[in-house]
Amino acid sequence: MTLNFDWRVLRHPLYTLGLALVALHLLIAIGAPLISPFDPIELIGARTEAPSANFWLGTDVLGRDYFSRLLHGGRMALLVAFTGVLISVFLGSLTGIACAYLRGPFDHAIMRLVDVKLALPGILFIALFVTGLGESAPVLVALIGLVYMPGVIRIVRAQAITQISLDYVRAAQLRGESAAAIIWREVYPNTLDIIFVEFAIRMSHAVLLLSSMSFLGLGISPPTPDWGLMVSEGVGQMSFAPWLVLAPALFISTLVLGLNFGAEALAAALGVDASRGKVG
Amino acid sequence: MLTAILRRVGSSAGVLLLLTALVFVATEVLPGDAVLNSLSSDDFSLMSEEEVQALRAEYGLDKPAVQRYGEWLLGVLGGDLGHTIMANTPVASLIAYPIRNSLLLGAVVAAVAIPLALLLGMAAAYWQRRWPDKIASGASILGYSIPEFASGNFLILCLAIWVPVFPAVISAFTDAPPNELLALSFLPVITVVFGSVAHLLRLVRGGFLEALNSDYVERARLTGVPEWRLVLRHALPASVIPALSYAALYVAGLLQGIVVVEKVFGYPGLGLVLIDAVNAREVAVVQAIALLSAVTVVVFNLLADLAIALLDPRVRHAHSFLRSP
Repeated sequence: MTLNFDWRVLRHPLYTLGLALVALHLLIAIGAPLISPFDPIELIGARTEAPSANFWLGTDVLGRDYFSRLLHGGRMALLVAFTGVLISVFLGSLTGIACAYLRGPFDHAIMRLVDVKLALPGILFIALFVTGLGESAPVLVALIGLVYMPGVIRIVRAQAITQISLDYVRAAQLRGESAAAIIWREVYPNTLDIIFVEFAIRMSHAVLLLSSMSFLGLGISPPTPDWGLMVSEGVGQMSFAPWLVLAPALFISTLVLGLNFGAEALAAALGVDASRGKVG
Repeated sequence: MLTAILRRVGSSAGVLLLLTALVFVATEVLPGDAVLNSLSSDDFSLMSEEEVQALRAEYGLDKPAVQRYGEWLLGVLGGDLGHTIMANTPVASLIAYPIRNSLLLGAVVAAVAIPLALLLGMAAAYWQRRWPDKIASGASILGYSIPEFASGNFLILCLAIWVPVFPAVISAFTDAPPNELLALSFLPVITVVFGSVAHLLRLVRGGFLEALNSDYVERARLTGVPEWRLVLRHALPASVIPALSYAALYVAGLLQGIVVVEKVFGYPGLGLVLIDAVNAREVAVVQAIALLSAVTVVVFNLLADLAIALLDPRVRHAHSFLRSP
């Protein structure tokens, strides 16, 4: 294990802000059932009621407590994104290292597949499969996993190629260790820094992509509270109840902003170059 | 050089061929098949086994998958994208105008975003860590953190509802003339530009910084080359190259932004057709749009690689500029 965190980066105010935003969002997401005044999917009030002492942000078009829905709105997206990205980063990094170590036809075949996937924008990829398989959470997790795997494979492969040229890999080969053992016990721990940063960057992409899919009606489906869905549901009432759109928009934006600054903080703390933006 | 170009074109064609397989496989993972999915359960229970079989034969679903892939691919290559199940209209005629409208939106966005990103990226690098850099970096972080559906609706609220300057929803028909569409599209364009300028700006800034600190710019500066010439003639071409090598990701990101923004503003483009098609489970339409997007990404990536070969003397004089496509 060669993970050396240099937490002096926390002196940078924007990095601190990012990590604080992520921590706050995680607290809200985990604690939502405890701190919400009402059940987020129960119809308890009149339709689109104005904010009151009882319903702090009023009710939505169906008469559900908007404040409770807002607090719950990131849970499903975070859970799906976290699981999907975990799958894509774990499998993607092992595949990338295997490509770098084995080279030859295996590497060539995988890299062609990576090129094919990278040519198809994430929204189109998900739309293509959702058309047949529907928008259930397991399908979305699998699709998020597939969408981000090629990018992870590419980045980790490039990093692993440098690692494999180093003496410790040669030493392991001379000890007679198998390819699987070298990939898992030697190279994998030494690329963990870049893998951690990949995870953080892909989390921000995945949360943004998922909420966009939900906004389009192709992601998380009702009645689950989700900020993307809530924005699309609130558009009709925007002229007289603008908070129905503004509040979820603010929540999703601060979450992605926090994840982006958090990823940069992590990259800086680990000394990894992370000058890459969204998409993929 | 020519063989290298041909080989590069060949590998793009190979990627596209594999993509058609991926797009086809996506429909093969359907539980049931296209016919069963297009029928409601009521219809289905009323139909006899023979009727269902006849319907499947009509859509060619009784043939083996490889044969269907071959026939579908030949059709696509010949411009036949299939028919919709519900209304039996040819997909090609359904998406013709939306393609034009989305290309129009994309072209206008690129025409604004690319010069803007160059300008801001150069300014940010030239005045590194001074206020132009801070403003550009701050704006770009916001640009790629705020989803288009949030920024787009925020703009509608500010500039169409509170201060009604622009239309909130684009009321033009799908076959409206381009100038009519453009006149209504100020907010959609701004929304996509805001989201897509950020990534490009960072790449330009990085490339420009590297060029400014390079030996050849230092040498030019010492020989008394004027500052403006140094920036425009020596550093600018070098800063464009790293941005060009991300062309595929940029175009893919732009396409995603356009899909979302079309939904936000009701812009009559491919994104709206796509969303309707997914909801109606019109597989042929989704396939066609996915394939078209992929072709766009691959073609722009190819063009960008050729442009790099022309711009970068290191690549121009190398034996092969083939990196992965």
